[in-house]
Amino acid sequence: MTSTQTNSDTITQTKVLSTQPQPNPFRIHALERTDHAMQVWLFSGLFWLTIAMIIGIIGAVKLFYPEFLQSVPALAYGRLRPVHVNIGIFGFMSMGYLGAAFYMVPRLTQAPLFSETLGALTAWGWNFNLLGGCLAIMMGFSKGKEYSEIPFPFDMGFGLLEIAVAGNIFSTFVQRREQRLYVSLWYILLAIIPFPIYYTLGNANRFSGIEDAIVNWFYSHNLFGIWLTTLGLATLYYIVPKQVKKPLYSHTISFVGFWTLAAFYPWNGGHHVIWGPVPMWVMSASVTASLAMFVPVFATIVNFGGTALGALSVLKTDVSYRFSILAYLGYAGASLWGSSLAIMSFNAKIHFTYMTIAHVHLGFLGFGIAGLVAFTYFYLEKSRKLSYSQSLAEWHFWLTVLGIVGYVASMAAIGLIEGNEWEMGNSPTGTMMLRTPYNIVRAISGGMLLVGQSLFLWNIWQTLTTSPASAEKSLVPENSQN
Amino acid sequence: MRYIRVFPIIIGLSILFGLAFSGLAVAPAFTSSITVPSVGLVAYTPSELKGRHIYTREGCVYCHSQQVRSVKADENLASTYGISKSGDYYYDRPHLLGTARQGPDLSNEGQIWRREIGEPARDYLIGHFKNPRDYNPMSIMPSFDYLSKQELSDLTDYIQSLGAWKSPVESSS
Repeated sequence: MTSTQTNSDTITQTKVLSTQPQPNPFRIHALERTDHAMQVWLFSGLFWLTIAMIIGIIGAVKLFYPEFLQSVPALAYGRLRPVHVNIGIFGFMSMGYLGAAFYMVPRLTQAPLFSETLGALTAWGWNFNLLGGCLAIMMGFSKGKEYSEIPFPFDMGFGLLEIAVAGNIFSTFVQRREQRLYVSLWYILLAIIPFPIYYTLGNANRFSGIEDAIVNWFYSHNLFGIWLTTLGLATLYYIVPKQVKKPLYSHTISFVGFWTLAAFYPWNGGHHVIWGPVPMWVMSASVTASLAMFVPVFATIVNFGGTALGALSVLKTDVSYRFSILAYLGYAGASLWGSSLAIMSFNAKIHFTYMTIAHVHLGFLGFGIAGLVAFTYFYLEKSRKLSYSQSLAEWHFWLTVLGIVGYVASMAAIGLIEGNEWEMGNSPTGTMMLRTPYNIVRAISGGMLLVGQSLFLWNIWQTLTTSPASAEKSLVPENSQN
Repeated sequence: MRYIRVFPIIIGLSILFGLAFSGLAVAPAFTSSITVPSVGLVAYTPSELKGRHIYTREGCVYCHSQQVRSVKADENLASTYGISKSGDYYYDRPHLLGTARQGPDLSNEGQIWRREIGEPARDYLIGHFKNPRDYNPMSIMPSFDYLSKQELSDLTDYIQSLGAWKSPVESSS
């Protein structure tokens, strides 16, 4: 709201100031104003990603050096962990990818966003709501169930804000001029419509015992499956064909992939309690659905693989496309790994170990970060016509790759070791000291990711603040940049 | 008429989501094994509930599970305390089943640090909350030295209630 105002103020001022007729140097800024809501969402997402990383690293250090920041209740491990997770879900992934959705929807529907002001307002509301929710958890008001820790009224804040976001996007759908719906739009519909139902169910219920647990995991897995994954896939389906300048490999395959994903993903929740004290049918249904996830994942693998094939030369020149491919590999890896973790015999060994952590982070780092970064570079380059520093982007890419590999490999290895030890009769207390070196590798990998992320933020900050002039140097006289 | 092509998508998605919703959110409420408490299960006392609230607030659940499964990794626990059943959790709100074991499973902690032991058990638990590394130098558990005396006592009450109601496992074979 205020920034829109400031923005238009600047434009008016410039119009007053420039006395001679010249190509409008603020044409780019006009575009910026068009996409105002999308930018607030996207850059908030990138901001929260940095915060999530910092908290993650603090938590990782506490796991091998428990005296670190000890005796401060708000910074205790058990309070920081839910803050890290909730910022990862509701800050980084939700906000960043909603930014991408706000970018894609007007372009794919050929209609302006229903309301830019509402879009920006909901983004700011979401930011403050998340901040309030996280402070509340740190002050000891956690609701205590995974992914629904954020207490009232902040939890309901997200529900209401999401309804406003969904209304905004859906109204744009209704006013669309392009009648055909591209696959990205299907995924966005799946993301925005059921959210209020399972979110409210997961956050405002009075269940107890096992029913509470089953509903908790139904809600949580829908957050990953039909909220974050769908928004992420929508983004990849949009940018990859544009990056390689080829049409999508097959619309039939994406049709199959979409409907099988919609059919199977909501059933996945129960796989968090395999072998637990839940009725057998909950386990069977969830294990079946988890294995069936192979179909939509394979469809996506084939579709993106087919699109990317033959465009390998783009990999060398376009860092943004390289991040897309990283996201594609991260998605395929995390999904197939997730299905395999639901195989009952394998689950019996690795449930409760660090392998779960490895799997989640392959999803969030490999798919989540890489996809959002790919979109951000794509947006800067293709939409804003800005050129970012290639060398910084190269550093960012390789630090991210190293960080992901270090993190996922160390956690998967210790997960497997723990699982084997426990099956041989060792206890979690007994395997505690085995974890130390792996936890140190994890913290170092997190550090590399944070360095890469800082370079990235510096790069886009530099690009956004200094580049408009250089991009239009040929058109704009030197003295008019201010 | 404009959104006529959006409707089939929305209807299709509603059916698919509705199926999963009835399966994983509605059906459990009508499953008798979930809605009936286990034999002998005792409701929490007020101080135990307060302790449970502290357990939730401090995020103990992120490192400690509260379930024994019928798998090889849990063989020792299962043979000593038996396998957890749905009805064991009848009074748990919110549930604290847990998803990781960075520390030991706590579902039967009340059978280890039994109330009958009296002061020594309580002293151990409270001392361990305050600084776990006094007891196990390798421990990575945070020290909860910022909890008040009353809070530590409530938390101890709760820990001692875990599994304390269970009758001893008889060796069936």
